[in-house]
Amino acid sequence: MAEKTNNDADSKLIGLLGQFDDPESLVAACNEAREAGYKKMDAYSPFPVHGIDPAIGIKRTILPLIVLGAALSAVFVGLGLQLYTNSSAFDALTPFPGYPFKISGKPIFSIPANIPVTFEIIVLTSAITTFLGMWILNRLPMFANPLHRISRFKRVTNDKFFLCLEAKDEKFNRSASEDQLNKWGAVAVEEVRQDLTDTDLPKWIPTAAILGAILLLLPPAAIFSQWGQTNRHPRLHVVPDMDWQHKFKTQTMSPNVANGRDEVDLLYADLRSARRPVDGAIAFGSLDIDSELNYGVKQDFAHTISFRSNVRASLSDDSKKDEAKGTEAGDEAPAAEATENMEQWVTTFPQGVEVTEDLLTRGQQRFNIYCAACHGYSGQGNGLVNQKAMALAANGDATWTSARSLHDADVKGDAKNPVGRIYDTITNGRGNMGPYKAQIPVEDRWAIVAYVRALQETGLKSPGADDAAAEETKDEKSEEVSEDENSEEEKSEEDSAEEETKEEDKAADDASEEDKTEQEKKDDA
Amino acid sequence: MATTVDPHGLDNTYDDASKRTPLVLGGLDYQGVTETACGFWEAEKAPKIWWILLLMAMSLLGILGGLINHLLMSGVGVWGNNNPAYWGWPIVNFVFWVGIGHAGTLISAILFLFRQNWRTSINRAAEAMTIFAVVCAGMFPGIHIGRVWVFYWLFPIPTEHLAMWPNFRSPLLWDVFAVSTYATVSLLFWYMGMVPDIATFRDRTKSRIGKFIYGLLSLGWTGSARNWHRYEIAYTLLAALATPLVLSVHTIVSFDFAVSQLPGWHTTIFPPYFVAGAIFSGFAMVVTLLVPARALFGLEKLITLRHLENMNKIIMATGLMVGTAYGIEFFIAWYSGVQVESYAFWNRAFGNYSWAYWIMISCNVVIPQLFWIKWCRTTTWFMVIVCIFVNIGMWFERFVITITSLCRDFLPSSWAYFTPTWVDIGMLVCSFGLFSTLFLLFCRFLPVIAMAEVKGIMPRDGHH
Repeated sequence: MAEKTNNDADSKLIGLLGQFDDPESLVAACNEAREAGYKKMDAYSPFPVHGIDPAIGIKRTILPLIVLGAALSAVFVGLGLQLYTNSSAFDALTPFPGYPFKISGKPIFSIPANIPVTFEIIVLTSAITTFLGMWILNRLPMFANPLHRISRFKRVTNDKFFLCLEAKDEKFNRSASEDQLNKWGAVAVEEVRQDLTDTDLPKWIPTAAILGAILLLLPPAAIFSQWGQTNRHPRLHVVPDMDWQHKFKTQTMSPNVANGRDEVDLLYADLRSARRPVDGAIAFGSLDIDSELNYGVKQDFAHTISFRSNVRASLSDDSKKDEAKGTEAGDEAPAAEATENMEQWVTTFPQGVEVTEDLLTRGQQRFNIYCAACHGYSGQGNGLVNQKAMALAANGDATWTSARSLHDADVKGDAKNPVGRIYDTITNGRGNMGPYKAQIPVEDRWAIVAYVRALQETGLKSPGADDAAAEETKDEKSEEVSEDENSEEEKSEEDSAEEETKEEDKAADDASEEDKTEQEKKDDA
Repeated sequence: MATTVDPHGLDNTYDDASKRTPLVLGGLDYQGVTETACGFWEAEKAPKIWWILLLMAMSLLGILGGLINHLLMSGVGVWGNNNPAYWGWPIVNFVFWVGIGHAGTLISAILFLFRQNWRTSINRAAEAMTIFAVVCAGMFPGIHIGRVWVFYWLFPIPTEHLAMWPNFRSPLLWDVFAVSTYATVSLLFWYMGMVPDIATFRDRTKSRIGKFIYGLLSLGWTGSARNWHRYEIAYTLLAALATPLVLSVHTIVSFDFAVSQLPGWHTTIFPPYFVAGAIFSGFAMVVTLLVPARALFGLEKLITLRHLENMNKIIMATGLMVGTAYGIEFFIAWYSGVQVESYAFWNRAFGNYSWAYWIMISCNVVIPQLFWIKWCRTTTWFMVIVCIFVNIGMWFERFVITITSLCRDFLPSSWAYFTPTWVDIGMLVCSFGLFSTLFLLFCRFLPVIAMAEVKGIMPRDGHH
């Protein structure tokens, strides 16, 4: 409703509003007003009246330029987003690394595939800019407009047209302007006044705002109060997300199926929750009938191996017991040798294992991973674990059987330790050494065997070994060369392998380890 | 002011080259347009039929909520989706709804740029329909992702938990961007177009709550010439942006299929064919909704027979495009000489899904040909029947494309016959509940006719 106050102290004159009944007379009046020199005025209509822009001197808006700017920057944002998120090129610069999808060898960034998303980002950015830009340039939303207090003005959204001459205009004069509006064909003229008495914010708004803000802060405050706290209760699981499933996990006890009763009624009597394979079942891909390849045992002795058993393949139950005793005594070699059939071991690499430079390199790599921890990089039995354990054992803090030096005379040469036996040692362990068949695949075991033979050929000595032993090793070696064609190959392979290692310049490679050991030996002497 | 109008005076489908066909009938002036458009909103009590329809729609919506809850609690196994048809009805429904959601923006943007003034009476309702259809469309892939609670993984938001970004070269991600951009831009366009009309509501409403809500929504709009100037330019800009956008959306939806290698999907005709199909189904839905709405809300003088006839002509034209595309697909399948491609199409027409294929052909290609007859395209009850058939046909088109190709993939041993579950069927039916609820509420509480635009195209002489 219009404020019917005429008290000048309570309200301020904003302008004069003239009403017109059709768009043509509005445009005509606007033209008259412009010609009369009015600059600050605005026309109001229920729909856009064409021809009114020049009539009241509206300049073309810069909105399209703003949108163009937004669209152009969206090109870079769109492409940049994809470039960053789908490649690892910017990982150093951003807190969240990119994620390159390697799919069918397709390029990580390709313009055609990245165009659709770029296009959508351009359209989205431009549309939002258009929308927000239009309202901001129009200074909307503005709810406290004095025009809305004039009841006559309510028809501006229906069928009436208005021209408002603003009081700020230099030409504005209360009575003269009213006369002019009437002259230009206004059906009615009314004052627009701003109410100065009612400018305060309603009291409930700040209260409600503060209350609302406090209520909104409660949940985050509750969450942050738990920050860095420890809690013995399991965390709140809002979405179960397949975390608890009706299944028995491996290595767990047979579940108690006696629901709600006190007595234990196991699902399986053997206490396991999982079933063992039927006797004689062979897992897919593990049919190891080639005894030479899989056990290092000659075909003729294959029947002595108990296939698919977890016990050492090469020894009978009795001899195993013997060896176990020997191990405990810290002197395994004589006991084992007493019952071990040396004839059974293959002395050459089995079919399917070709000793090449690649195999030796592989063997060296695997040796350094699995064996060097105890046996040392040069195989002299002085790996870090061994050194540490020996130091502890010397203080009486641990019991430890020293790792074998691979350069000992009794583990060198085809007579004492043929390749098959070395393979068996890796596979099933020997003495205190555990089996490695679970960790190392067959091919890699043979690669290690090749590398061990290569190490033994270097002529290194075991720490503390006397010259005689070294001499003996040399003899054996020369024998070996004449006997075995493979050895020659091995030797040359080994040289090149060593060179390669040196090139790699690793701190922990066998060459430097050897040097170090040599140095230590000299120091000892 | 209009008084009693001879019902025969409402037929403006004749063509008289000597004068412009009036788009507002019954001699309405500006005031008359406002009162006609606001009539249903201003009625103190909504008619019983509106309440009955709303009750039905909301019941379906309630069932939909229950079904979604069932899905989330049990997993996507409650649907018929299974090897090899991992894209079952949810994707069919998604493409169906998003296709329907194309008419609104097409009417408001493309027809605007082409200065087709007859769009003004129908654009508001069509835009609203667009948004509600996109809501239904967005729901299906949303619940199809399995773990709905991590839906935000769809967007490029850095998450410590996932430590991954979306794959921007995947059509499925393009789809996320296309549909969400489309929904946002349509909403902005719709709302912006509505502000002057909400201002009319603000100035006419008598209830306090109405004054507050419509006052807030109309942002203090005064109809100032300076505001109109920027508003019109912004409207043109949005129309210019929405035009390529609306074409891109169904193009990208078709990429979901066309970029894959599956016979029957891997074709370059998909983008134009999908867009034509989308306009086809969208216009059919607009006609289906507006014919009862104009009768119910007394809008015959604003949404005239000529409007409906024009839409029917577009339906016929796009129907012919879709029919041509069906033919071209077969030609290319034969002409390519690729055995699997030929088989895929032979299987569509004569395999075990031939029933669906021939429903599609008869609904989309044969039945719209009735619109060649003037009586058919100017008789309201008849055009609704045709349009319902068109939408049935368009649903089956998406079904045929999705299901037949998936059920005959490269490995014959995995071929299967897709069977929907009751949840599938329930969700399709109940998605109409969501759509109708939104549309009925819109009709009652928001301006159904773009009054400001209609007034703008009324002839200057003879309005009073």
